[in-house]
Amino acid sequence: MKYTIQQIAEGEDEVILRYRERTTEVERICSFLQGELRRIRGFMEQEQVLLEPTEILYIESVDGKTFAYTEAEVLRTEYTLNRLEQLLDGVNFFRCSKSMIINIDKVERLRSLPSNRIEATMGNGERILISRTYASDFRKRLRGGGGNE
Amino acid sequence: MSKEKKTISGFERYLRDEIGIEFKACLYFFAMLFFYCMYRVIGGVYEASILHMAELILMTYGMGYLQVYVLSNFDEAEQFGKKEVCYLVFCSLLYTGASWLFGWFDRQVGWTIGFLGYTLFEYVGAVWVYRVRRKIDEKLLNEELRAFQERGRDGEGN
Repeated sequence: MKYTIQQIAEGEDEVILRYRERTTEVERICSFLQGELRRIRGFMEQEQVLLEPTEILYIESVDGKTFAYTEAEVLRTEYTLNRLEQLLDGVNFFRCSKSMIINIDKVERLRSLPSNRIEATMGNGERILISRTYASDFRKRLRGGGGNE
Repeated sequence: MSKEKKTISGFERYLRDEIGIEFKACLYFFAMLFFYCMYRVIGGVYEASILHMAELILMTYGMGYLQVYVLSNFDEAEQFGKKEVCYLVFCSLLYTGASWLFGWFDRQVGWTIGFLGYTLFEYVGAVWVYRVRRKIDEKLLNEELRAFQERGRDGEGN
């Protein structure tokens, strides 16, 4: 397979894959790219880190900055919460408030609170409130419906 | 997940609260109507006053607003502490005062005191019912969560 690598001065980085037939090789490149694109680039102190979405417990936006929380680390990402919501489309993440997205796979336990709110206990023991504005969508999502859609 | 921000409108929020208040009004109205009917039947009267019923409805409706917007929706509270007990007694006294004022029990002291006790009991019952409902909901939620996570592991999530 012929390939071209080109450096550009401005604009967004882009990969264009042209093929006549979707061969195993093409499939392999596609799945590699999809996996890579799903990884979240973040910063821990000054160091750049690539994070698998499955490692993330939740993502929070504080004072215009976005942070991804794992069991042991907190990373600052350069993406906005809305952009991350798009990037993580198809993964089990849910927008549970204006400033937070949680990974449903990392929820340990749920608690039903008054006024139809839900408290989610995450893998690291942290408790996150799903406001009643988002709670009914969350219930739909759990039942296999299209919450957050 | 959506590409748009998901929020509910002010009208929807109002409607949601309003439905909650309506539900509360129905719950307390029916409980009080039962006591009122018992009073009438025991007194040998087999008709209920439309005016008294209207007063009961308006009272329970107004109390619903007071409970939700002023008294922290205490009957649905997660923890029942001193503050909630005070609100409970306060609301029971308001109902009892209204019963005296509107003559629901013909201003008979015994029945009025009985009504106060009944109202207190009714509130305790409501607190218990709301709590049981949350426990059942919680159990269901956790079952659905486990099923969702299982589906995800089997590659069927979303």
